[in-house]
Amino acid sequence: MKAILAANSALAAVLSIVLAIGRQISIGLMGLMVLVILIQVFFRYVMNSALPWPDEAARFMMLWLTGLVAPSAYRWGGFVAIEMLPQMLPKKLGALLAFFLLILAGLVLYTAIGLGWNHVNSGWLFNSSSLKIPLDLIGMGVVRIKLAWMYMSLFVGVCLLFAVNIELILRALLTFAGYEDELPVITQDEMLGAE
Amino acid sequence: MLVWFLPLFLVFLMVGLPVFFGLLAAPGILLWLNGQERDLALLYRNVYNGMDSFPLMAIPFFMLAGEMMNRGGITMRLVEFSQACVGHLKGGLAQVNILSSMLFAGLSGSAVADTSALGSMLIPAMEKEGYTRKFAAAITAASSVIGPIIPPSGIMIIYAYVMGESVAALFLAGIVPGVLVGVGLMMMTSYLAKGADFPVSRPRATWSEKGQASLKAFFPLLTPVIILGGILGGVFTPTEASAVAVAYALVVSLFILRSMTMKDLPNVLLKAALTSSVVLLLVGAAMAFKTVVSLSHAPEALAAYILSLSDNPLLLLFLINLLLFIVGMFLDAGPAIIILGPILAPIFTDLGIHPVHFAIIMSVNLTVGLATPPMGLVLFVASSVSGEKVEAIAKAILPFLAIEIAVIFLITYVPSISLFMPRLFGFIN
Repeated sequence: MKAILAANSALAAVLSIVLAIGRQISIGLMGLMVLVILIQVFFRYVMNSALPWPDEAARFMMLWLTGLVAPSAYRWGGFVAIEMLPQMLPKKLGALLAFFLLILAGLVLYTAIGLGWNHVNSGWLFNSSSLKIPLDLIGMGVVRIKLAWMYMSLFVGVCLLFAVNIELILRALLTFAGYEDELPVITQDEMLGAE
Repeated sequence: MLVWFLPLFLVFLMVGLPVFFGLLAAPGILLWLNGQERDLALLYRNVYNGMDSFPLMAIPFFMLAGEMMNRGGITMRLVEFSQACVGHLKGGLAQVNILSSMLFAGLSGSAVADTSALGSMLIPAMEKEGYTRKFAAAITAASSVIGPIIPPSGIMIIYAYVMGESVAALFLAGIVPGVLVGVGLMMMTSYLAKGADFPVSRPRATWSEKGQASLKAFFPLLTPVIILGGILGGVFTPTEASAVAVAYALVVSLFILRSMTMKDLPNVLLKAALTSSVVLLLVGAAMAFKTVVSLSHAPEALAAYILSLSDNPLLLLFLINLLLFIVGMFLDAGPAIIILGPILAPIFTDLGIHPVHFAIIMSVNLTVGLATPPMGLVLFVASSVSGEKVEAIAKAILPFLAIEIAVIFLITYVPSISLFMPRLFGFIN
């Protein structure tokens, strides 16, 4: 159990840093999404000439925002669930049920990682319809962005969710074994670490 | 065999598996057992495709605009405006609570935001005036369900996306039902005020006081006008309108009302990002789930069962309202719409119920579920804001729930309540 406790602490420390970085990036993406759509509104209605890229760029950012910040929400317990039965059960039985549910969630995420990897790889074959890096401005050719970069958002999100799920499994195991008091605390303040 | 995904999903849900995983695990396991591994890849791709949507972007933007408007001063201005309008009535603060919820609904579209913003201000004020704490918490929770009914509304955007309806038509269709719920709650409060001798909050406001309160609330109250006016006037798409609402909320909160500082901005952005990410993942999973719904022919089997109960659409609507009400007791409106919409809506559309009408029946019914025990989310929020026990609030809310149930049936059997506004603006025939 001591080894599991140490593994959980190490994973918790790594996740705290990685997810905090994800949250900081998502704050920027959220602001940029608004800006990009407002630029489109300006060009469409004021200049009467819609730009080709803002809609897809905003979707690109929304997908990455979801992939980077949803694992934080999961870690905090923000995923919608009916928790009546686990709460009604005796403590040990409730912890056992929570453990099995986490294993099931882990299997879903493990399968999704494999499927996500294939999905990302298929994306290297296709270009985005409107997103490109305008290297022609510095005398080089235009580089069209591959769809794989968009597909990667969900894949990264699923990988992070899987890592969070492992941490939650370890926590459930340790809680079941009576080590609840020694677990690192995950607080909402940590979630809102951007403040 | 695939048809068993629905019971399996319900089992997963009842034992406490998060809805996101349940939506993927139940069909995934059956596809795997059926040897349809290729469809598992389809399931994953549809999660991605379900999230990769421009109209869906309105959800994070409206959440962000609501978060900005939710900060301090704006709620206070809406309450002051409501006090100038109805504070002189018997049970004045209770009436103020309801009217403020109706006005707040035009800014945020979230029942939880409404309960926490208005509850933290009005519940202590009502207690000071002699109302019981449980009554103050109950009226706050009951009136907060107006939030997702009057536009802008997160659940209407989800419904429109999942079912391929027009967001503008649903927004318009929600206005009259939302006002009806508010007026019904006010009438019940007036009735209760006579028996319980509730106090008046203040003397009738003079025209000058009303003018001042209106002026102070002018900028927040302009938000729904910009959103709906922009969409209905054909100026913006709903997504663009939501981004404009964010820009407007930012300017009003930062520079005009100064209810927010630049320092607050990262936290506001993060809160909106966190909430939206969960909703977006759910919508993605629901779109994947919808694929399996079609593959399994479950709607056809369910439709045959429902039609075997009766061929009278009015009776079937009554039964479906009962089902939705029970579901709403346990599940939030958003996930419930995502799960049940694709299954139930086609059945009732085939029976001749207008899709927009059915959308409103479903949305209002499931939204009222937010305030019903045992799992009503706003009951828990009202409990944490007021410090009153959930059981006590659940008992005190019963007269208001009765009104809301009456409105649900009114909406169900008088379609023009929902269809009048979208018809007026030419969004439906």
